[in-house]
Amino acid sequence: MNNKAKEILLKKRYRAEKRFRFFGISSIILALSFLCILLVNIFTNGLSAFSRTEILLKVNFNEKKIGININSTDKEIKQANFDEILQEALLNLAPNVPELKQAELIDLVSIDATIELKKFYLKNKDVLNKTSEVALTLSDDIDQVHKGNFPRDIPEDRRRFSDFQLKIYDEQIAQKKIISEFNWPFLFNADSREPEIAGVGASLMGSFFTLIVCLLLSFPLGILAAIYLEEFAPKNKITEIIEVNVNNLAAVPSIVFGLLGLGVFLNYFYLPRSTPLVGGLVLALMTLPRIIIPCRAALKAVPPSIREGALALGASKVQTVMHNVVPLAMPGTLSGTIIGLSQALGETAPLLLIGMVAFINVVPSTPFDPSAVLPVQVYLWSESAERGFVEKTSATIIILIFFLAFMNSFAIYLRNKFEKRWS
Amino acid sequence: MVNEKIKISTRNLNVYYGIKQALFDINLDLFEKKVTALIGPSGCGKSTFIRCLNRMNDVIDICKVEGSIKVDGEEINGKEIDVNVVRERIGMVFQKPNPFPKSIYDNIAYGPRIHGLANNQDDLDRIVENSLKKAALWEEVKDRLNQPGTGLSGGQQQRLCIARAISINPEVILMDEPCSALDPIATAKIEELIDELKKSYTIVIVTHSMSQAARVSQNTGFFHLGKLLEFNLTEKIFKNPDNKMTQDYITGRFG
Repeated sequence: MNNKAKEILLKKRYRAEKRFRFFGISSIILALSFLCILLVNIFTNGLSAFSRTEILLKVNFNEKKIGININSTDKEIKQANFDEILQEALLNLAPNVPELKQAELIDLVSIDATIELKKFYLKNKDVLNKTSEVALTLSDDIDQVHKGNFPRDIPEDRRRFSDFQLKIYDEQIAQKKIISEFNWPFLFNADSREPEIAGVGASLMGSFFTLIVCLLLSFPLGILAAIYLEEFAPKNKITEIIEVNVNNLAAVPSIVFGLLGLGVFLNYFYLPRSTPLVGGLVLALMTLPRIIIPCRAALKAVPPSIREGALALGASKVQTVMHNVVPLAMPGTLSGTIIGLSQALGETAPLLLIGMVAFINVVPSTPFDPSAVLPVQVYLWSESAERGFVEKTSATIIILIFFLAFMNSFAIYLRNKFEKRWS
Repeated sequence: MVNEKIKISTRNLNVYYGIKQALFDINLDLFEKKVTALIGPSGCGKSTFIRCLNRMNDVIDICKVEGSIKVDGEEINGKEIDVNVVRERIGMVFQKPNPFPKSIYDNIAYGPRIHGLANNQDDLDRIVENSLKKAALWEEVKDRLNQPGTGLSGGQQQRLCIARAISINPEVILMDEPCSALDPIATAKIEELIDELKKSYTIVIVTHSMSQAARVSQNTGFFHLGKLLEFNLTEKIFKNPDNKMTQDYITGRFG
């Protein structure tokens, strides 16, 4: 080959290399930009859900209107009716308005406001027969106006709030009576039909219980199955079939596990519907192969010389595996488990089938109480029309992403920590 | 070779990997507190042979061992024999150093712990110290017993493995090319150690180095294609072998 031909060949090789780099870098940029669009979209939509809007309202705690006195027990107070003093306080915002407009005044605050008033009184009993300023949650519509999510310049009949309500709102803003603060109730409340008081507390607890049930079941079962298959089972046709099936199970669409759960756990064993217990059982079925596969891979990666070393010392098979092989396979196993669990945390479809999609407005206190989970809450709210639920949907996704990122980084941390120790 | 006590004797030992026969009718006597070197070209069956002696071939599913292996006149080859007891009596050191991913101390203490050789912590400390001293490693590691055994140099790791093998006080130590992964200085140390250890243990060493076999062993066996072609005093094998093949191998004409 002469020099000329060699030169051409060389240039060709460099061109191919540049082309490859270009494609590689552009695909990374493309993927990153999609991720950015997704995150920016979710965060711009969702961050506002983490603040809530309240009005500072002067309320006169008249004992006759409430129907209590200074000696009333907490139980009596809880049964008392604070509606009248609330209405009175709201009507005082604009005295002498026609009856038709009075309803609009009352609609300014959340329907939860009387409960908030009651809670305030229980903490500050000395306000009886006095007038005090209480912070009360505004209704969803005014909340959205305050956050700037509702344009004010469209015609009155095409928006969810009236000109009169807007006027009162502006007056209160001018008097600095409208305040924003961090939306703690969003993190602790259960679901509600009213967006301003709906929260992810119930689905957070539901997800927590579900994952605990899933972990308690799938982790020991998965690890024992993996250890037995990898270290003890004879290599024959039966184990081969089991191996193929475990790999296939990992690829089965998750909704199929939901059907299985519906058919077996609910309709055959009559376990309670919509509960984290059943959700955890179904997710454990789904997670099992996803734990077995990385655990086996981790066991396989342990050098055979370690096993021989222990066996040659007269250690039994079980001692060899438990003392020497399993500890070495632990980091891979643990990170596989955590990644399997984080997949389970984001799973929606199988849980819909076992009834975890029901509207439940109390926070569950055990795995046997009906509950929602985070991804199902996203699904539920994404179907609601109110503007308040739109931001809550995104906010729930933010919380979900936060937990997923946390779990995955914990998996990476574990892997690095254990790998460093013995290298 | 007279007046020596036979520690291990094999009779008509045949080993098969599936349908392939790896060893043919091996009849070999190993003498107590002597070093026996096994030499021969790669794939001749030396390693397979010593792995029979502590039943390590059991680990390989397709491997079948037939014939008789007697230790002190006691049969050890057979399904009904407890391999864990056999391996407690006959230790092994491998080609590549394979310390456990534990501390130096725990590497040595592992064997005594599983066999219940130490009654208390002091006992265990003493066993660890003695084993490391016997393996000529104590001075180098006594200040860092809690550090991982995997952090030692290759030669130190191999001596750690020897210390681990002698920690349970075996009668025989099998060494499968213990120096093949080591540099000449580390090799010299191991050879020195073998010389020392033969006072208390029967040692079988597989080696590819003729000079090593000549230096450390009293008896030498020459394997070729799964057969034991010659077994004799090391001096005799290296100076005046009976077999033409042995002569050719030792002088480097093949292998």
